[in-house]
Amino acid sequence: MSTTDRLSTTRATLSNRLESTQKGGKMVKDYWDRLFSANERGAKVVWYNGSAVNPLFQAAGLEYCHSEAYAARMAALHEEGPAQRAGEEYGFINEVCSYARTALGCAVLSQESARRKQTTSTMTEEERKELEARDALASRLPLPDIFVNSYAGCSTGQQWDEISYRLFDKKLPFFKVSYPLIWGNNDDAEYLKGEEWEEASRFVVRQLHKLIEFLEVQSGRKFDWEGLREAMYYIKRAGELRLEAMELCRAKPAPAVYWDWIASIAPINFLPGNQELVDYFAAVKKEIEQRLADGTPAIPNEKYRLIFDGFMNWNRVGWLANKFAKYDVAVMAGRYTHSSFWNEPQLIDVDDPLMGIAQHYLLCPFNHHSKFLKYTIMKECRDYDADGIVFHATRTCRSSTNGQLVMAQIAKEAGLQTMSFDGDTSDEAFFKDAMFENRLEAMLEAIDAKRERIF
Amino acid sequence: MESMFAKLERCAEQPLEYAGQWKRENGRKVVGLFPMNFPPEMVHAAGALPVLIQEDRAQITAGRTLLHEYYCGYTRSVVDQAATNKLDVFDELIAVDHCVALLGAVDAIWFQLQDRRPLQDQKKVFLAQYPASMDEATTFEEVRVKNNKVKEQLEILCGAPLTVEALSNSIRLYNQNRQLLRKVYGLRKAGHIKITPRQMQILVKSSMAMPIEEHTEILKTLVPLLEAQQPGNSDAIKLHLSGHMCHAPRPEIMELIEDCGAVIVNDDLFTGFRYISTDVPEEGDPFDALIQWYANRNENVPCCTRAQKGVEWADYLVDSVKDSGAQGVITLMAKFCEPHMLYFPELRKGLERHKVPQLRLETEHEGIPYESIRTRVESFIEMIRRGIQG
Repeated sequence: MSTTDRLSTTRATLSNRLESTQKGGKMVKDYWDRLFSANERGAKVVWYNGSAVNPLFQAAGLEYCHSEAYAARMAALHEEGPAQRAGEEYGFINEVCSYARTALGCAVLSQESARRKQTTSTMTEEERKELEARDALASRLPLPDIFVNSYAGCSTGQQWDEISYRLFDKKLPFFKVSYPLIWGNNDDAEYLKGEEWEEASRFVVRQLHKLIEFLEVQSGRKFDWEGLREAMYYIKRAGELRLEAMELCRAKPAPAVYWDWIASIAPINFLPGNQELVDYFAAVKKEIEQRLADGTPAIPNEKYRLIFDGFMNWNRVGWLANKFAKYDVAVMAGRYTHSSFWNEPQLIDVDDPLMGIAQHYLLCPFNHHSKFLKYTIMKECRDYDADGIVFHATRTCRSSTNGQLVMAQIAKEAGLQTMSFDGDTSDEAFFKDAMFENRLEAMLEAIDAKRERIF
Repeated sequence: MESMFAKLERCAEQPLEYAGQWKRENGRKVVGLFPMNFPPEMVHAAGALPVLIQEDRAQITAGRTLLHEYYCGYTRSVVDQAATNKLDVFDELIAVDHCVALLGAVDAIWFQLQDRRPLQDQKKVFLAQYPASMDEATTFEEVRVKNNKVKEQLEILCGAPLTVEALSNSIRLYNQNRQLLRKVYGLRKAGHIKITPRQMQILVKSSMAMPIEEHTEILKTLVPLLEAQQPGNSDAIKLHLSGHMCHAPRPEIMELIEDCGAVIVNDDLFTGFRYISTDVPEEGDPFDALIQWYANRNENVPCCTRAQKGVEWADYLVDSVKDSGAQGVITLMAKFCEPHMLYFPELRKGLERHKVPQLRLETEHEGIPYESIRTRVESFIEMIRRGIQG
């Protein structure tokens, strides 16, 4: 089965998914396909984790692999098995972050693959093809030349790259950016406001300047500030279009839902800032506008509106989308899609972009104190007129589950229905189909009962 | 000696009750600290009692509504203590460490003790997060910024300035205490004294809650008494106990290990040597010294929660084993402790390279399978014995 075919099996069929997002899928596939040959092309490759540091790499003339994104992609394609097994053989227990296990397993397999490539000259063509088929995606990552860690909110993200660095015998250059959790000790602390926010932003800017110095040394060329401004111009515009399109989805019935925004994560997260990226989000917005004009809903018989909190369960994107659609649920928004990825584009000053970039890194949705989570999730519930919140208790991701039970209490006090289901970012073993369905049915029945009482 | 251990044990095992009594008797503030890197000297210098918040033995109940079950036993326990109002003895709580589970727990505690309560009953939960990467100059600049914030906060809490003189004095007092505890560690390692692992834990754990002057006075009397004892069983297999970040392993596990024919000669547990490994420099500005201490202690006893390219916990462990003559290493890993789980393959490889026998035991807050642990430890010790004979 080709990659495109496998991706198509993950698409929902019970809802009207946006057609325009398929273009994003192709852009992402092309991106990875090109990256796979980076070593052969002699390009320098950065492996990085966490924030969207890619515009800096783009301006530094480096090629880059976002390890989490790759782990997510493999899970979405149901190709995570070989990497996770390699991680397990290396010694990682299955309670370790499954993104880390998958990516570290890829590192192990990519190293093995590189070693084998040196001996393939003695292989027959048939043997070589068989080897490649067995390796599949897990071993296709280009070997890194540089590591950059830039993980907000999650200590595991930082420690994971410490292990990657050791896996490559501590020989590669490695830079780390640190982020404080946005807490709010002071009374003046509000979302995007207050002394702590300003201080944290300046701290990150100082580190980004150091990172740029590091990249100049590693790339052997002067950093292209004009290139960064240009990339940020496109990213800012793409971010604005994405937000405008999201806002259109407040309409009833919704013209597009959460699963369409999940499909658009990879483009906004790591594709290069250029006209193609802007065109992609312009096309998404245009399709949504057309749907509004035509009265085409995303969910044929939209009856419920829910918010989704937590990381995506990448092995189950299509399954979840279908399951919610089956019950006439429009999943409207979520922390992972709507409170992430260049989601406050007004902060970006294209002429002097570093502060806005730094602030977006701090705005990682898993880098917030409950005080701010309360603000953002309740705003989403109001904006989308939601009946309740579905919490994905993401087993191996404490970062995304931090604050969930607090938010659930706050939501209940606000009269919203909540449910929690067990799953994971990329380890399917933690997902329980029947339990999910039971809980969803119970939640919807409770919403029905509440509506009957009101009317 | 028994009465001294009994006094220290009461403080170690019931730190909240101890702190409550101290507060009533002294009329001063008590500050709860989360592990692993906050310097208690700052709280002491401000005039309050620093108490490291421990896991307690109570079953998790109300805390289940605030933190998922796949968090480590320590974080679930401290959240449960907050949810059951046990942490009310504290006037304020301070965290500086970057561990994703701990931050989640501190967040839930903030919700319970600050957000949910009327103003007059609120407990300030203060986060001054230190960067965990030890390789960048910006890290230590940021630690200074955070320490200044803590200083301001403590001055508000205690109503008096935290002076350079007071901090220097506190540093001297804590150094003296650590040195005495390290002396006991040295004596145990050399086989000159007989001290049970429970007693060793009591010595360190009580220093995390008792006023440091009082603790030091007890140690000054206790250490000579320990020295006067006969050494322990020379036939026992010597072991190094490793791991258990943040909270103390149950003494029952350590006793079980010794019951199987071993003697614990050294450890790198947080509630053990890791906590007392490093003194704060006494020269120069004491605020600078605290920053230096943060850097030094990860070089002295590397920790999987810190990110530092040039130091290896595995190398430290191998050196430590050589130094103590330990014949094997038992790693105690708290279930769901992600930094430890992630780093463990490096430890395993490092020990394997040097042919050091090793065993990993997972611990939980509730339902520790002692008999199955006993079987595994017995097999491990037998394996070492056969290795020696073979």
